[in-house]
Amino acid sequence: MAETPLRARPALDGYNRTVGAVALAEVSGLALVSAAVPQGGDEAFAAALAEGLGASRPATGDSTAGDRHMARILGMQPDQLFILFESPDPDRPAESVLAALGGAAYVTDQTDSWAMLRIAGAGVRSALERICMLDLADEAFPEGRVARTVMEHLAVIILRDGADSFLLMSPRSSARSFLHAVELSVLNLSE
Amino acid sequence: MIIDHPLLGPRDAQEFAILGDASLIDRPDWQAEDAAKLFHDYLHLRDNPAGEHRELWFHEQGDRSWLVVTRSTLTHEVLKVELARDVAIARGRDR
Repeated sequence: MAETPLRARPALDGYNRTVGAVALAEVSGLALVSAAVPQGGDEAFAAALAEGLGASRPATGDSTAGDRHMARILGMQPDQLFILFESPDPDRPAESVLAALGGAAYVTDQTDSWAMLRIAGAGVRSALERICMLDLADEAFPEGRVARTVMEHLAVIILRDGADSFLLMSPRSSARSFLHAVELSVLNLSE
Repeated sequence: MIIDHPLLGPRDAQEFAILGDASLIDRPDWQAEDAAKLFHDYLHLRDNPAGEHRELWFHEQGDRSWLVVTRSTLTHEVLKVELARDVAIARGRDR
């Protein structure tokens, strides 16, 4: 019987394009795991986060950096955080987080559910202001700030990961439509 | 309409879904003697003043929190925004 090896493909086939002052590229290889804090387990969770990932707990809407696995902890909602990191075991990212947190949170692997795009460059805010309702000015949305919102009717998590750089995550099932929306906004700038 | 979220700051109303009157937080005791009447009132009876309303809003396209929004139906002004969890705890609920 013929060998038919299965290979994982990134959601947007490694899309990478620069138009004018904006670079738009898919980010792949990062693991994403959600962590829900049990009721009354705040202290245990904070201790486990410091011990296992070297990070402090961010407030909702903020993020903190861990000192292991390039981890970034995103405060998504009260009692729920997303952990973005380079998994030592790419096939089992949730297990890695479970090992690091020792059961202080309920964890769920989100890795392949979200397509990730990084949009960066001097024109990044001009490109985003056409599709994003949030105020992305320095005072309102400084580096490290994170939010769940909608762009072109699609759910998006937006993280400011640099002075002129944003990481966008949108559900993989509609990733092509999301890419189209963002790409079109970037192209509109150059006309 | 802009809702000034207590944790996240001002957000556009299109990120939210409305459930209804904030009195839904005060669910009656199902074991009470007159539970049938209490639930009838809880489900069906609402004040509908022209003016100030307290309503439950869900930040569906955001941090998924429930809010109690006080707003005026005459001016569309949003007067107060609280986390529903804080309101419920203040009214003696455990969460």
